[in-house]
Amino acid sequence: MTIVAGKTGARRRLRPLPGKIWEHRADYAYVLPAIAVMLIVIAYPIYYTIELSFFNTPPGLQLRDKIFVGFGNYTAILTSPVFWKVTSNTLIWTLASTFISFVLGFACALALHREFVGRGVLRAILIIPWVISAVAASYIWKWIYHSDFGIIGAVLVGLGLADRPPNFIDSVSTVLPSLIVVNIWREFPFAMIMMMAGLQTVPEQLLRAAKVDGANAWQRFWHVTFPHLRNVSTVTILLLAVANFNSFIIPWIMTGGGPSNASHIWITHIYELAFGRQRWGVASAYSVLLFLILMTLGYFYVRALSGNERKDAGA
Amino acid sequence: MTRITLGSAVLRGTVSTALMASLMSAPALGAAPVDLSKWSPEYVRSIAGTQDFDTAADCGKVTPLDYKGRLTFWYQGVFEGDPDLLRQYYKDFFETFRKTYPNIQLEEQALTYNDLLDKFRTALLGNAAPMAVRLQILGGTEFASKGYLEPLKPEDVGYSTEDFWPGAMKAVTWDGVTYGIPTNNETMAFIWNADIFKRAGLDPDKAPATWDDVVKYSKQIHDKLGIAGYGLVARKNAGNTPYRFMPQLWAYGGGVFDEATANPTYKEIELNSPQSKAALQASYDMYVRDKSVPVSALTNQQADNQPLFLAGQLGMMISHPSDYNVMLDLQKKATGTDKDKAQTVIDNMRYGLIPTGPDGKRAVVFGGSNIHILKPEYVEGGKVDEPAAKAIICMWTSPEWSLKMAYAGSNPGNLNGFKTKWMKERLDSIKFLDVTTSMLPYGIPFPALPQSPEIMNIIVPDMLQNALTGAMTVDQAADDAAKKVKDLMGGGL
Repeated sequence: MTIVAGKTGARRRLRPLPGKIWEHRADYAYVLPAIAVMLIVIAYPIYYTIELSFFNTPPGLQLRDKIFVGFGNYTAILTSPVFWKVTSNTLIWTLASTFISFVLGFACALALHREFVGRGVLRAILIIPWVISAVAASYIWKWIYHSDFGIIGAVLVGLGLADRPPNFIDSVSTVLPSLIVVNIWREFPFAMIMMMAGLQTVPEQLLRAAKVDGANAWQRFWHVTFPHLRNVSTVTILLLAVANFNSFIIPWIMTGGGPSNASHIWITHIYELAFGRQRWGVASAYSVLLFLILMTLGYFYVRALSGNERKDAGA
Repeated sequence: MTRITLGSAVLRGTVSTALMASLMSAPALGAAPVDLSKWSPEYVRSIAGTQDFDTAADCGKVTPLDYKGRLTFWYQGVFEGDPDLLRQYYKDFFETFRKTYPNIQLEEQALTYNDLLDKFRTALLGNAAPMAVRLQILGGTEFASKGYLEPLKPEDVGYSTEDFWPGAMKAVTWDGVTYGIPTNNETMAFIWNADIFKRAGLDPDKAPATWDDVVKYSKQIHDKLGIAGYGLVARKNAGNTPYRFMPQLWAYGGGVFDEATANPTYKEIELNSPQSKAALQASYDMYVRDKSVPVSALTNQQADNQPLFLAGQLGMMISHPSDYNVMLDLQKKATGTDKDKAQTVIDNMRYGLIPTGPDGKRAVVFGGSNIHILKPEYVEGGKVDEPAAKAIICMWTSPEWSLKMAYAGSNPGNLNGFKTKWMKERLDSIKFLDVTTSMLPYGIPFPALPQSPEIMNIIVPDMLQNALTGAMTVDQAADDAAKKVKDLMGGGL
């Protein structure tokens, strides 16, 4: 807008809203079907979830007979030790998965950015965890981790490194880290692809110029490559964070949130509350809280994208 | 130990226990097609093959065979832990139904035990349920109490209430109204590997008499052979867990409420009684103190115990008679020396009655499934084709099909099934069947309450996990579970 100058720009800004809408009527018509679908499949469920969050839904009653409890569900959630346990698990899960997936993906992207024999094959292999079904992956890892006859346990015992198979997913202390490893294994290829795409945009002449100026490999990375990847990194991290906040398949299939809630994260807990225990009201209140968190993350995501666009436009 | 010896020795004097009375407490006991007071392996053998039934003709009286209609139907079907034999009978049933009622357009959907309740609940919320559903025994009262189900009694499909186990009828009754018909009823038995017993210095032909013995034997097997003794199961949201822990809880004299008594009122919560805590302590002793059970018990189900047992890595477990057939199926898939090892395990497989508690109390879950018709307003399209629904219900609950659909793993819901020629054939072909059938008089139904699914699938497994992981002490875990049940019954959040 700042580049629009003079009388024409002033006239545009002063134009009344109906006029503006009329001017863009074709644009509105194009997006109308999408908006209608969004209202039905997104806006209404959000409204209904917020409404439900103020009701108690005991298992002996139909949903239509729900009992109004005001903020009772929110109070119950915030005073429940399970909430804090699940929230702590969710934060550990999200932060660890996001950070390690990103770093690992970035490292792989840097390694694969160089020319070497077999690069294509290696790239294809590394993408496999991301393209296979999360459900299949969860079952495979469940067997790999199995506390009695898992592959890892068998190898360790076979090599004489352990007396009995390690307990990965049947212990409250090891279950969450074990699941995070699986999640990282599934997610790092996504970060790798994103960063590989980002690396393509780093101007080769700048890197060469820096080399001519005597910059070593680290200096070239830190002062030339990394600044160019800042935006793609931000978007990748935000997408990973949102995906991890919303994770369900791996913890649900591998442990069902157990043992003793040690691997319950928000989504699995909400699912259990709603579908296993029919506490639709409490589950809705949880969902509203999660929605607020994700909206905040979404805001930063959009801001990051807008920042990219502004920079691109500026360039 | 042979199955006859076992049944004869233990059962003759015990069939008239209070638990038996609980199951037989229907007023019209005398009119039942079989004499439940004489229940024993010998009696079951004596009535098998004594009566013929014409299913198509019987059901034709309920819904004419040329009836034209459409039916949507969900059912708890076979899953990975079931034998191939059962898969074939399910296939045969639907083929036969389509042949018998060629003008009924049947749209059936099979779901596993652990998935059915969640999916059905969700469908009901969206008024997108099927017209008829076959649910686990635990689910009937939940949906009946919420008003989702149409009243439905055996008389509506040509049978009489007395044709079914009185205990099973309780599970489909809410507020004095019957909302479904039992398709099958099951009780499990205790299975052990005689070879492992022998190598561990135990009597290979003698099952542990009490649950304290199970703890002791499990430790002895683990200490001597380095393998798991008892196949404990404590996964949450898995039917296998209450089916294995509740017999232990009841045997010690505990319970969630007073469901193990002849006339339960479900008023007092017993989960934190000293008896219930003793039962939980026994599990704790095996898992934590002795480390004599599979470590994976917290995340696994019975289907995971089966390969362990077949591999000779597990000494004892509770399961259906079908586990013998499952072992045969698994053995066929084994290769090389594994095949021979598996055969050795199968040859050494023994079945016995589930152990008693310290006071001689023996108990088992009286399980099974029921079939129901939904009210039209909750069904996709808002219409229920009642004659079509009754046609499939009549067939499934007939003496013939209620037996065939429970061929290897369970027992017919319709007591007349015990009189069919297929029962006779089954007794000859399904090894150890009479042991599990002998457990029927000890069967205790889950509390007939809408809260039961949550109690059995979540609160009880949570209690076990809290104690076994050390997240809580045994006392704390039992108290915590009792509080959760109290809150749940009080309609708390």
